[in-house]
Amino acid sequence: MTTVSQPATTTGQTLTVEGLTVHYGGVCAVRDIGFSVPAGEAIGVIGANGAGKTSTLKAVMGLIPRQVGALRFGDVDLTRVPARAMVRHGIGYVPEGRHVFAGLPVEKNLLLGAYARKWNAETRATLAETYELFPVLGEMRHRLAGALSGGQQQMLAIGRALMSRPKLLLLDEPSMGLSPKLVEDILAVLLRLRGEGMSLLLVEQNAKLTFEATSSCLVVENGEVAMTGTSDRLRHDPQVRRIYLGL
Amino acid sequence: MQITLQTIIGGVSLGAVYALVALGFSLVYRTMGLVNFAHGNVVTVGAYLASTFYLSTKLPFALAMLVAIAVTGLIGLIIERVLRPLENRDFDLMLIGTIGFGIVLDALVIMIWGATGRAVPSPVPSAPIEVLGLRIRTYDLVVLAIAAVATVLLVLFLSRTKRGAAMQAVAMDHEAATAVGIHVGRSNAIAFMIGAGLAALAGGLVGPLLYVSPALGGTLGIKGFAAAILGGFGSIPGAIAGGLAIGILDSFTAGHFQGYSELVTFLVFTVIIMVRPTGIFGERTVNRA
Amino acid sequence: MRTKIAVGAGLAVAAWLLPYGLDSYAIHVVNVILIFAVLAVGLGLCMGVAGQVNLAQVAFFGVGAYATAILTTHNGLGFWVSGALALVATVLIGLVVGTPALRVQSHYLGIVTLGLALAFTNWVTNAQLSGGAEGISAIPVPTLPGVDLSSEYLYYYLELIVFVLALAFGLFVVRTGLGRRLRAMRDDSLAAGALGAEVPLLRMTAFLLASVYGGVAGVLYAGLIRYVAPESFGIANMFLLLGMVIIGGRQSLIGCVVGAVSLYLVREWLADHPTIAQLAYGAVVVLVVVFAPTGLAGLPERLRDLLRRRRGESGTAARLAPFRPYAERAGQTSGTGTPILTVSAVTMRFRGLKALDEVSLTVAPGEIRGVVGPNGSGKTTLFNVISGLYRPTGGRVEFLGRDLTGSSPYRLARAGMSRTFQNLRLFGDLTVEENILVALDRSRTLGAWRYLLGPIAVLRQDRELHRRARDVLDRYGLTEFAALAPKSLPYGIQRRVEIARAVAAAPSLLLLDEPAAGLNGEEVRQLSEIVRSIRDSGVTVIIIEHNMGLVMSLCERITVLAGGRIIAEGEPAEVARTPAVIEAYLGDSMDSDDLPSIPEVTK
Repeated sequence: MTTVSQPATTTGQTLTVEGLTVHYGGVCAVRDIGFSVPAGEAIGVIGANGAGKTSTLKAVMGLIPRQVGALRFGDVDLTRVPARAMVRHGIGYVPEGRHVFAGLPVEKNLLLGAYARKWNAETRATLAETYELFPVLGEMRHRLAGALSGGQQQMLAIGRALMSRPKLLLLDEPSMGLSPKLVEDILAVLLRLRGEGMSLLLVEQNAKLTFEATSSCLVVENGEVAMTGTSDRLRHDPQVRRIYLGL
Repeated sequence: MQITLQTIIGGVSLGAVYALVALGFSLVYRTMGLVNFAHGNVVTVGAYLASTFYLSTKLPFALAMLVAIAVTGLIGLIIERVLRPLENRDFDLMLIGTIGFGIVLDALVIMIWGATGRAVPSPVPSAPIEVLGLRIRTYDLVVLAIAAVATVLLVLFLSRTKRGAAMQAVAMDHEAATAVGIHVGRSNAIAFMIGAGLAALAGGLVGPLLYVSPALGGTLGIKGFAAAILGGFGSIPGAIAGGLAIGILDSFTAGHFQGYSELVTFLVFTVIIMVRPTGIFGERTVNRA
Repeated sequence: MRTKIAVGAGLAVAAWLLPYGLDSYAIHVVNVILIFAVLAVGLGLCMGVAGQVNLAQVAFFGVGAYATAILTTHNGLGFWVSGALALVATVLIGLVVGTPALRVQSHYLGIVTLGLALAFTNWVTNAQLSGGAEGISAIPVPTLPGVDLSSEYLYYYLELIVFVLALAFGLFVVRTGLGRRLRAMRDDSLAAGALGAEVPLLRMTAFLLASVYGGVAGVLYAGLIRYVAPESFGIANMFLLLGMVIIGGRQSLIGCVVGAVSLYLVREWLADHPTIAQLAYGAVVVLVVVFAPTGLAGLPERLRDLLRRRRGESGTAARLAPFRPYAERAGQTSGTGTPILTVSAVTMRFRGLKALDEVSLTVAPGEIRGVVGPNGSGKTTLFNVISGLYRPTGGRVEFLGRDLTGSSPYRLARAGMSRTFQNLRLFGDLTVEENILVALDRSRTLGAWRYLLGPIAVLRQDRELHRRARDVLDRYGLTEFAALAPKSLPYGIQRRVEIARAVAAAPSLLLLDEPAAGLNGEEVRQLSEIVRSIRDSGVTVIIIEHNMGLVMSLCERITVLAGGRIIAEGEPAEVARTPAVIEAYLGDSMDSDDLPSIPEVTK
């Protein structure tokens, strides 16, 4: 995919984050992190567990208290936008793990993803698209979300975020607890979304998935950016393995 | 057999009222994980409001009830707004906060309507109907019908409307709910308002069954709460089953133990809770206890 | 200290002289206030200190008063004999009311105790024995040689002595081992259990204490008013009592007394407008809960905090002192002998989800074992099964040669197992030193009778515990933080406090759940030194960790979990080369020539 041949993304918006810091109680989980996600690009944030990846994503969303130098999406200043309004600015969020609405049916989960929109014919069309993207969700539409398998719940979480028709999708460890086959499926979905011009910010522990899904990455360690670079370069960097495997 | 059936019928209408009270408890608990100890006092307020409009302004019973529901809904909104800073932080403190509101409402009731009670005449002919040798009061049927309609409406609201789905989503995962754009505080406020409305409905309905007095809500609140727990806290079918069970238990103990009925009811309830703390339908949606 | 004695002496003189300045009505009010103060202290112990919601305190009060009334008027017993029997009756009732606490907590406990309190009022209003709604009058005046207790002035002194004793005993309990364990249980019953606190017994103790205070207040009430009727023990008074405890400050017994005095005075002042009084104290309860959750007793602390923040003073500038290693246990042979822990084919299911699938592992004494794996692979679940928080769906856990599958955490803790938690479970309202003290104190809750019969021995033991706690704090370099609340400390220090606490429980097996999470490089290095020293002192360690550098350098053997199964086990270098492990961590094995050569693991 080249950026020149994509007129849709030239009008798109860039997410800019500068000087993001998060404190939990006494600990500084994220220290002065900055990055940007250009329109139509996919950016990865990788690092070991506890490195501050999830906190970074939640802080961008405004779900946890944070200090931030600048937070913009295109021309919109997001520093004072509450978490619940982010979706109305075109930012979708796929939370970590199994944060689906377990006691509600699959279809209700998806429709709630479109909470910020009117539930009309257009929403129905999006719902049909989502089922087309994740056929398994269509089969299970009347099942309670809590009764789905881990992989299906992950699909549902992504599908739910897509229901708001976001321009930028924030994903928190979509591969967590999934088998390699399912991780492949997730990768295929991410590549397809990217092909459609959606911007992605992917937080992952699974380095392989991230390198294949994104164009460039940040490696975080102890709440700080340890390295940045294109995914292709980082893929072969022994430093990354050192951070991961502790060698 | 005949006597047993008659006892059950005697308990069902009061049981339906307990079920309504239990529904209010459960709804607030389901969406916020909070036990509203002022709920019983809201029932009293509802009972007084409904009877006042019905008796003194000569409004039709149904209209009086609607006005009462509207006013108590407002009270629910106020309670939620004041306690909002504690939401998702300290549930024991919030619980004590609602007890505080209960004390305030109790005092307000006595200031406005006095410490003595009042009897409310039945809005429908009071002669009982005989079916298969059983005597059924017509007003009991009215209570049952209204409780059933209210329950169905509540279930429809939760399962069919966007707002209803959003309220349940908040209970299941408030962070994910925020991320899809739901205003968690507003959702909680609506839950509280509906809960208070249900309390007023229960209070209004119970007026002609019992004597309306400041102590009314205390009894109804505790029995309704017991019903909610018995059925499985937070569960709607549980609230109904629990309400009817407590109503029938009440009716039996009143028949067999006269004055000591309350004592027996609570002892039985305590034993049941110790044997099965999750109640009949279990605590499926939220588990913050 | 000197100011404390001065204040105490001042209060004593004031209390002694008080009756001289009061008319007969005022002294009556004072007498009633003292009774409420005793009740409030009891409720404070149960609800504030032990965290057990108790809405039956007023029923305990009633049982004490009614039993005295019945025994004196009906059975013709003397007042003091009746009083003693009444106290026994109240304690029995208290234990009955407390039983549900073994199964349910929080709001469930609230409704159950409230229900039982209503059952009590229901009984006294109906029973002939208790005089029905009219109650029982003409209770005889308590006799005391040489003192005419029908005079309220003299009765005041009797009450004053009882009150001072009751308050002193309450404070004694709160500030020594039993109270620490009760408070620890209130803050975090899970962590308290993991440190060996017998949670069920402690809950019963809380109700026992509440009922003793309720009973004493009841007997005093019967002797003072000499008339009992149901409405004195109804819900309205229960809520008044609750208001006293909340407004005064739940967690401070002095606060409860202040609350009782002030609220009763307000009620007395508004005696002609009882509903306004009720409105006022209801509103105050709401305001206190929202704006000053620690009540009147917590206000000075909050003001001090506010001032400090105004002045822009930062928190603790103190630094963590270095760790002083343990003496190495001679003859330590690692990895030999009978296993200290054997996990055989443990399976754990949660609603169909298999979190652990036939996991087996054996840990030899003196070993440092690492358990690693990606997020959600079941590591913490395994710890929870081993430490008794979960009962496994299948399989067995043997500890020190005994099958302890599904034993309660406190039994395992007392058998010599200790653990830390991923998300830090320090007791937030206890100081750092008290956190350590809870772990050091191995006395059993059943031994609490010594509080009555051998208070000196209790004090002596407590002094010894404090000495040992100072030792522990000094060893871990935490002396400077001893008196601080854990929440006010930086994360790295909190982590160290938790490890110190777990080791203070003198375990033979220590489970560490992600001890390096959130630590910086230097802190990780210190941690590694600490863990190794703990092992050298003769403790076997199992450590869950994501920081692979730490695991690789510290552990002799590593077990790798993925998807609830063990995918590899062996020495660190060996495990890191296993393709399945690389795949679990990086997504796949990629090109193996990218792998750096593995350095020798140095110990």
